[in-house]
Amino acid sequence: MMKKFLAVATAAMMVSSGILMAHTVAKKGMKADLVLMPKFLGILVFDQANQGAQEAHKELQNPGKLEFLGPTPENSVAGQIEILTTATTQGQDGIMISNNAGDQLAPAAKSARNKGMTVVTWDSPIPSAEGEQLFIAQVDFNETGTVMADMAMNIMGNAGGDFAVLSASPDAANQNAWIAAMKEALKAPKYSSLNLVDVVYGDDQSEKSYNQALALVDKYPNLKLIMAPTTVGIAAAAKAMQDEGLCDQVKTSGLGLPAEMVSYTMNDCAPEFALWSFVDLGYLSYYATYLIATGQMEGIPGETFKAGRMGYYNVEKDPTRAEGLRVLMGPFTVYDKSNVEAASN
Amino acid sequence: MTNVWKYIRSWESFLCLVLILTISVNAVNSDAFLSIDNQVNLFTLSIEKVIIALIMAFIIINAEIDLSVASMMGLAACALGWLVDSGASMPTALAMCLLIGMLGGLFNGFWVTFMNLPSLVVTLAMLIGFRGLARVLVEDRSIRVFPSWFEELGQQPILGPLPLAVIIFFLLLILAVVVLRFTGFGRYVYVIGINKDMARYSGINVTAVKLILFALSGLISALAGILFAARLGSVRGDMGLGFELDIITMVLLGGVSIFGGSGSIYGVILSILIVLYLRNGMSLSNITGHLQTGVIGMLLIFSAMVPNLKNYWESLRASRS
Repeated sequence: MMKKFLAVATAAMMVSSGILMAHTVAKKGMKADLVLMPKFLGILVFDQANQGAQEAHKELQNPGKLEFLGPTPENSVAGQIEILTTATTQGQDGIMISNNAGDQLAPAAKSARNKGMTVVTWDSPIPSAEGEQLFIAQVDFNETGTVMADMAMNIMGNAGGDFAVLSASPDAANQNAWIAAMKEALKAPKYSSLNLVDVVYGDDQSEKSYNQALALVDKYPNLKLIMAPTTVGIAAAAKAMQDEGLCDQVKTSGLGLPAEMVSYTMNDCAPEFALWSFVDLGYLSYYATYLIATGQMEGIPGETFKAGRMGYYNVEKDPTRAEGLRVLMGPFTVYDKSNVEAASN
Repeated sequence: MTNVWKYIRSWESFLCLVLILTISVNAVNSDAFLSIDNQVNLFTLSIEKVIIALIMAFIIINAEIDLSVASMMGLAACALGWLVDSGASMPTALAMCLLIGMLGGLFNGFWVTFMNLPSLVVTLAMLIGFRGLARVLVEDRSIRVFPSWFEELGQQPILGPLPLAVIIFFLLLILAVVVLRFTGFGRYVYVIGINKDMARYSGINVTAVKLILFALSGLISALAGILFAARLGSVRGDMGLGFELDIITMVLLGGVSIFGGSGSIYGVILSILIVLYLRNGMSLSNITGHLQTGVIGMLLIFSAMVPNLKNYWESLRASRS
């Protein structure tokens, strides 16, 4: 009896460990011509993503080519469709897209899939998920809310006080989701001393964001913090506070780029801010795309793969969309004086 | 003999040369270039622009301009999405959109003809106006409500490898050539373009011709907007944003004078082919973004410069002799 039980237990262990071991480790040196397509060219974070993808490309010794192709900002939607269609014509093996065209990219993505091309999105997915195999999500949107609430708490201290949000445009989907997630997080008792007084919009334009930040200070004399979940807004707000000599009274925080924020962090205008690494996002996207394009992975829920230096990741259903699969990268990196200089190079 | 020489030195034959050069370089550079798929794709990707370029040629030959075409495209597409989303049937919505296009064009024409305002000013205002209306209709979201037959019409080939929009383009092209070359209306378009007042004194109904042209411009822009919506399967407020510049570029490169009165559809079709092939060739060689825009821009500057240099050279020779 005991023997039988042991045998069953051993078998069960073997099966379960077998499941645990069923992750894909990339076979190097297989050929796949890949394209990395940003929303448009000339944006620092997308160049960083390219840097990460190039790193993975070398590491995997892919004898194929990795191209970084993007449209101009004025021509982003039509340009993305054109590049995707041309890539299909060229017979590229896979493409990684930070989608700026919403569902309008779906027909081109579907015909790319019909021709056997691998289509993976990163940073920004195809909303309907049509034509897309996988979305490499930078962070979980709910986590963004908690991270911002925590930073506000750290900066304002337990005494808390008034703070305001400086966002991009009123209809930016990701911004609104993050602000909503932060409001949800603020309901927890530990944040009860934090008082969100206003949400204003700088449209991701430096000058407008700068003026909105100054207007906030005029409007709310007790304001202690401006939280900007946009890289343009946070830099503009920090500069406004620095220029007006207000950094002792009003701090700035939110989502920012270390390279743009380093001086404000070192002079205490923006003591803490957060962001995910776009280099890592490019690196992870490349691994997933390479594995699917070379037939080593299918891209179905439950699959696990190893993405080089970043470790293991799962393919799962995307909880933020009705259809679609995602690989969740995360987590945030919170930057302060201790690590911002190293990250800014 | 002089006729042949004149023909060889014409702008069209220069464009032919550029076109042959572009095609040859593309064919050598990329194996995929000559494939039928690619040839159809390169048309399909810009088909809405080139359809509008045909009517734009008429407008510019007539010494007017219509800057509102791309905004009308966006408005028609958004109106279609909005109407269907609000429960209108597809045929009703399509008819409404074409009507919106024609009325919008007539509205432009009204200010230009009856109020004597420069078309540059009127249509610049409507570039903003139509776009604003489109954005009001769909706000900042994308509407995706079209039946599958409509999307297939925009995306699937229906005659050999050709999708509907490409067939419409070729039909309109033939129509444009016939009207401009072989009809009285076509001649009026030129004459008014050369000198509006002279045309009026010769008994030509200048107002009617201009109204018809602007109405057609609005109508065809709306049609292009509908085709665009079918090709992309959904509509957004920013559809076709900035297309007017590409459209005008194609027409001017085709040798149509911005001052009106001269130019031909042959030149326009050659310049359309050059722009499309150049773009496609650069894309296939992985040249995208600002570099691509830059090359097209250089081409336009060059095309504006060559006739001027020629005139300058000829006047210099005339003054010497």
